[in-house]
Amino acid sequence: MAAIETSSLTKRYGDVVAVDDVDLTVEEGEVFGFLGPNGAGKTTTIDVLLDFIRPTEGSATVLGYDAQAETDAVRERVGILPDGVGLYDRSTGYRHLEFAIESKGGSETPEELLDRVGLDREAAERPVGGYSKGMTQRLTMAMALAGDPDLLVLDEPSSGLDPIGIREMQRLVREEAESGTTVFFSSHILGQVSAVCDRVGILDEGELVTVDTIEGLRESAGVGSRLVVEVGGGRAENVDLTALSGVTAVDRTDGDLVVSYTDAAAKAAAIHRLVDAGVEVLDFSTEEATLEDLFAAYTGTDAAAVQDADAEAGERGDEASGDGITGRVAAGIGGGDE
Amino acid sequence: MSWQLVARKDFEDTVRSKMIWSIVAVFVLLMGIVAVGTTAGGSGDPTASDVIGLFVSLAGNLLIPVTALVVGYMAIVGERQSGSLRVLFGLSHNRRDVVAGKYASRISVMVLVALVTLSVAAVMILGIVGSLPLGTFGPFLVLTVLLAAAFTALAVGVSAMTDTRMQAMGGAIGSYVGFALLWHPFVAGVHYLVEGELAGLDAQGWYFLLLRLDPMTAYRQSISLLTEQYQWPLIGWTNIVEDIPAEQAAGENLLLTNRVAGDLPFYLTEWFGAVVLLAWVVVPVALGYWRFQRADLN
Repeated sequence: MAAIETSSLTKRYGDVVAVDDVDLTVEEGEVFGFLGPNGAGKTTTIDVLLDFIRPTEGSATVLGYDAQAETDAVRERVGILPDGVGLYDRSTGYRHLEFAIESKGGSETPEELLDRVGLDREAAERPVGGYSKGMTQRLTMAMALAGDPDLLVLDEPSSGLDPIGIREMQRLVREEAESGTTVFFSSHILGQVSAVCDRVGILDEGELVTVDTIEGLRESAGVGSRLVVEVGGGRAENVDLTALSGVTAVDRTDGDLVVSYTDAAAKAAAIHRLVDAGVEVLDFSTEEATLEDLFAAYTGTDAAAVQDADAEAGERGDEASGDGITGRVAAGIGGGDE
Repeated sequence: MSWQLVARKDFEDTVRSKMIWSIVAVFVLLMGIVAVGTTAGGSGDPTASDVIGLFVSLAGNLLIPVTALVVGYMAIVGERQSGSLRVLFGLSHNRRDVVAGKYASRISVMVLVALVTLSVAAVMILGIVGSLPLGTFGPFLVLTVLLAAAFTALAVGVSAMTDTRMQAMGGAIGSYVGFALLWHPFVAGVHYLVEGELAGLDAQGWYFLLLRLDPMTAYRQSISLLTEQYQWPLIGWTNIVEDIPAEQAAGENLLLTNRVAGDLPFYLTEWFGAVVLLAWVVVPVALGYWRFQRADLN
């Protein structure tokens, strides 16, 4: 049984197609990354799964239950962290968790959930109205974990989190996955998806462009990250770097050595081998593959246009969450697992 | 029972609203000022009905409907706009739980507000008259609670029906303005079209029935019969859209018993006013629920 299965799922608003004929299967127990720029239709798809909106055509099942006809069965088994949510300002964090646990018939205590998301107990005694975006995000995550759901749906879970918070969230996702929970993780930031996901689906303008493993994405899209080494003396061309695991190509441009790799660990190995061979390494830098590169590779769209759209999306994201900068830094395909 | 969880959580949050209790405080202050004014040598010997009349003009025409609309209009659309509706769904509550829970919670809050203001009126009557005439005060209490519930239900219905906060606010304000200011001229217009003239002091039963489809009119008509004093609306349209000689347009002349020939038909009695209010408690929220069940909620 698939955790999520959509068939020919389509949602139109008048002439606008938000989700276009999407066939998606998420297996039980996997961490699935749902990647795409803001406005690609990710939230619309998630909304259909929770019967927040009804599809124009096609259907969806969640954990074997029809998302429209068996809504209650779906909701009992799913935990959701929606994007950009406002909670109840006058209630404390504790009260929110009690409500969540009671609603889900969970057996955990509010304290256990607080510890899992790294929210301190003192903060939980205060009304949520005074919380920062990051604290709200952690609390909402804790509520989503109540009742130990079989499927965790996370919509842009890193919004409002600082880099430490993002790492903690990724750790949480791995913990959940280890305990058998399926995680459906939507994001517009490649690095975050690649850091935790087994497989990735890319959504662009409502269409599912591809579904693949992270490895598969790198290979078939031909986009990896590059290590650019400025070499001085020594015969760099005599050193065989392609033999290193994770290195896909070695080129020379303007006297620099350009090492393409898919595994972040290959960087250090390459530098090490050069130094060992007596090559003088003056400087080096890395160029990470970005979501834009990946999109350009898959959709054939003009990378600059995608970049514009994404930058715009990023700005909106910044306003709400401030994740734009970390997004850029972490956007490398291989960068996220460092 | 999932909706009860939603109701209890929502009640806790709503009852802490400072705005609601400041409106109530202003009302208590106004009633207090009037009480002091009356006992410190006002005209005549005030009765319980006078205090009720004062309550109707302050609370019945204004405070209770407006507070109820404020309490109710954000109930559901607010959750839609903040995104917390997704959280509720994720916590395994369904659309019915949300509407039923919010409805029960907001009505409870407003019944509490009504009971607080009614207790102020009771204290005033005890202070000024010395005893509380339960035969009048009991039905008055029931009608007032129903009025509060009717406007809350109307607002929750609007909240379930609309897609945005602004639409819901428009619906809430619009319904108050419509009932308080426009309903009587509209019904007068219908009378003019049907009968070829404006209603006089004596008029057909259906005319008053149409008027009392407005919950505030239903409330006032019933209280008027109860206290045998005519309760004036916010705006005295009677002087403008009805053809009544000025010297007759006052006090007891305007009671339904004096304007309709023979015995009052059942639909103009005070208990039928309560039935009209009950219909308002049920119908708008049922319509809102129907719409909400079918809506895309993003």
